[in-house]
Amino acid sequence: MSITTLLFLGFFAAVAVLNYALPRVARPYFLLIASYAFFCYSPENRALVPVLLGATVVTWACGLAIGSSKNKAVRVLFLLAAIFTALGILLFYKYWDLFDLGIVNLAGLFGQRLEPYSFNLVAPLGLSYFTFASLSYSIDVFKRRCKVEPNLLHYAMFVSFFPTLITGPIERYPHLRPQIEKSRRFSYSRCAGGAFRMAWGYVKKMVLADNLALYVSFVYGDFSQMSGPNLLAASLLFALQLYMDFSGCCDIALGAARILGYDLIENFNSPFESTSFGEFWRRWHTSMTGWFRDYIYFPLGGSRCGKARHLLNLMIIFIVSGLWHGADWRYLMWGFVCGAISVLSVATRKPREVLARYNPICRSELLHRWVQRVIVYLLFAGSMVFFASALYNADPYAVYAGITRGWTGLEAGWKDVTSLLVSCGLDGRLPVMLTCGTLIVLGVESGGRNVAKWIRKQNFVLRWTLYYAMGAAILFFAVFGQSAFIYQNY
Amino acid sequence: MANNKTRPAGTPAPTSPTQIHRSPGTASVPGATKHSAKRKRKKGPGLVRRFFEGILRRLFFGSKTLVKCLLLVPIVVFMVAFSYNVDCSGLFQGALAPRRIVDLMLQGYDVTNFEQMDERQVVQLYAQDVAEAPEVIGIGSSRVLQFTSELVGSDSFFNMGVTGADVRDNMTSYYKMVSYGKAPKVLLWSVDPWVFYDSENAFDSRADAELYDEFLTNVLGIETDYEEPDKVELWKALAEPAYFQGNVSYYFKNRGQATITDEDGNSIDFNPVEGDPQQQQSAIKRSDGSVLYDVNFRNLPVEQVLTKAAEACPTFNSVHMEGFDALSDTQCKAFDAFIRYARSQGTTVILVLSPWHPYLYNYLLNETDLHKGFFEVENWVREYCAQNGVPLYGSYDPTLIEGLEESDFFDGLHCKGSGIAKFFPGVPTVLQQIQNGDLPDPMSLTPRTTAEVPEEVPTDEAA
Repeated sequence: MSITTLLFLGFFAAVAVLNYALPRVARPYFLLIASYAFFCYSPENRALVPVLLGATVVTWACGLAIGSSKNKAVRVLFLLAAIFTALGILLFYKYWDLFDLGIVNLAGLFGQRLEPYSFNLVAPLGLSYFTFASLSYSIDVFKRRCKVEPNLLHYAMFVSFFPTLITGPIERYPHLRPQIEKSRRFSYSRCAGGAFRMAWGYVKKMVLADNLALYVSFVYGDFSQMSGPNLLAASLLFALQLYMDFSGCCDIALGAARILGYDLIENFNSPFESTSFGEFWRRWHTSMTGWFRDYIYFPLGGSRCGKARHLLNLMIIFIVSGLWHGADWRYLMWGFVCGAISVLSVATRKPREVLARYNPICRSELLHRWVQRVIVYLLFAGSMVFFASALYNADPYAVYAGITRGWTGLEAGWKDVTSLLVSCGLDGRLPVMLTCGTLIVLGVESGGRNVAKWIRKQNFVLRWTLYYAMGAAILFFAVFGQSAFIYQNY
Repeated sequence: MANNKTRPAGTPAPTSPTQIHRSPGTASVPGATKHSAKRKRKKGPGLVRRFFEGILRRLFFGSKTLVKCLLLVPIVVFMVAFSYNVDCSGLFQGALAPRRIVDLMLQGYDVTNFEQMDERQVVQLYAQDVAEAPEVIGIGSSRVLQFTSELVGSDSFFNMGVTGADVRDNMTSYYKMVSYGKAPKVLLWSVDPWVFYDSENAFDSRADAELYDEFLTNVLGIETDYEEPDKVELWKALAEPAYFQGNVSYYFKNRGQATITDEDGNSIDFNPVEGDPQQQQSAIKRSDGSVLYDVNFRNLPVEQVLTKAAEACPTFNSVHMEGFDALSDTQCKAFDAFIRYARSQGTTVILVLSPWHPYLYNYLLNETDLHKGFFEVENWVREYCAQNGVPLYGSYDPTLIEGLEESDFFDGLHCKGSGIAKFFPGVPTVLQQIQNGDLPDPMSLTPRTTAEVPEEVPTDEAA
């Protein structure tokens, strides 16, 4: 069930009404049923219900064993069992083909000829979320950062909570546990804020991201025929498109959870206001980067080790992140490039600080900050060429090479871009609306502002003007029938 | 105590720090006795009271949320209303071109480009859109299309005839009016002979077979393949924002334009007739549904009309009558059922037999074996009308119509208005005749069904 359809809204409204109609103690169980109903709506997911149920029971039981045992060996054994179960499913569904190809190639090196064996696997909805959530729980229990959950159903609700199934955010059990154990009473203000946040997310996804996608996908879909200005514009816009798409979905998830009485982890904190590449990654997809930081980066030593090891740790984190996005060399390269930029950023920090003293731009703090933001955006957008190429099946090196070709002056380049925008359907009032919409979104979210809380502080007139404006924006400008979120594939 | 004495008055003495226990249920507070702990635990409200409080709370917040949600309803209402009214795909209001034609006709305009019209859709849309039911409607093929308001003698007349109409077109045109609650007072039916022929050859591919099945099933109770269409799927389009967007772009594209276009950008060339309708160079659809042929066609010399009639002779059967050897019992019953149905709706049925060109009719008389079915029709109809008191005017046999001349025809099949006026007295007169009980006896006329045997010329020898 796509969350951008009226069907989902109807489903969600029914769930919300029933949720609050029930006694508080019964709500988590009802939400668990609703989550599985949501999961089972797609026929391809139904066959995987036993797999997820089994993995849920196994990881919960492992957690129980880890928590109740004082024998370290036993605890480690059960932790490994939990990791093997959760990670095994993810690796099997997402990376079997890559793994199988590797075996075939390896056998080829030794003169053996093997046929690749494909299961035609379709990764179930929310598999990544399930993996990260169950892993974090098991590790936290092992590290005694989290109490054992004796109630299987509460745990099952945590790993399959439907608003988070599509693109997260990746929750931690210590954060969600008190909310599950004691459901909140109905609060009109919370619900209204949540509804606004959902609508905000829909505007970001369906109006801004999907319209930008029309142009970006067109350019990347035929990258070999595109001129430099168009490839540059599409590459720059893709970063914005991805933000609107991903954060829009997270807004819908957070808003929906808020209506149901749950506060989830924020996933974005105005990333385009970052003044360094490192800061950018602390503001972008924070639940994911936080997970990598806590469960991979810190165990590797983090930054509290030698400089070379610190830089290596950084590189490992980004490469793992790249690989997680998919079994594709372009994601791996994307991770590598991001890692390289981060490593360079850390390695050159001191010389850059020295140089900054002589840089006239740095004398104006505002100008300096804006220049830094632009540079961070350019670096991010530049690295995303690999990501976009993987998404739209393009050759990233050809895209990079193409960006430098076909320039006959700025004015001609601008005309080139605008004419292609029009032929992609971004004509009439759409470009103006997209520009204004993007500026409004970035402005309102500035400083990591929580829009659900922000809207409740506005007066009635502004609030309802915004509601109607968003309704009109969706009605007039949203792209319908193109509902897949980029991150729901990961 | 000694220290207290040295402190300034009013300054409280510091007490020894005590540990704060955040979970009073699990830790005991120093100094607190079991008795005092018991005393502090107040008795909460009873289960029943809490239950009703919960219900009241849910009702209050539920209604508050509902009221706020209702404030957003105007957005949905606007979307639905806009989609319904613009309806660029013609899901609810019919296709754009017929809608344009009907709109113009309802505004009292004659409309150009008759040859390109989808007449059946125009008729169906007219039934849907006309605000008040016309008192008289005409049904039939192109042979009824010359019936105008003037000839019928009623300002409230609409000609629902369509070119090549078969029995399905005839019946569904009337059924459409009834289904919209607009049953006319008078139904003028120009009955064509193929109405009584039960064969695929008698059917026109343009007719709405599904609508006819619906009519047979729902009205006449005859079993067909008809299945009630899924209206929900159709109406869901109204709640589709994508359809709304299509309507918005269509609306803005055509707003204030002289030539409107369809969804795909093709221009819709149906416009109000400019200038004298009688002088048009192409056929036009009059606002009363009748057709006015182009000025050249209407003014063909008699010789050319005769040529056309002669040309129609060998191809006569190709007009829905290939293999028409006998009247179909089924079709005769359907005809009767339809007349009864119309009467049950309070409609007075007037039947008309539009004449064929004298040359053509005479030609057919010379090959009666090839037109057996055709020659059975009129007598059957006359008998039926006589038995059921149905007014009948005209005849297929032109010689039975007093004063009818070859100049009263456009070609072999189509009689001009001047010809119609010679056999049809107008609806008010017919109604008067019904009231007075002096309807012409259908059996008083007998059409020719065989060629007259020429009288033998006496020879000289016999003389």
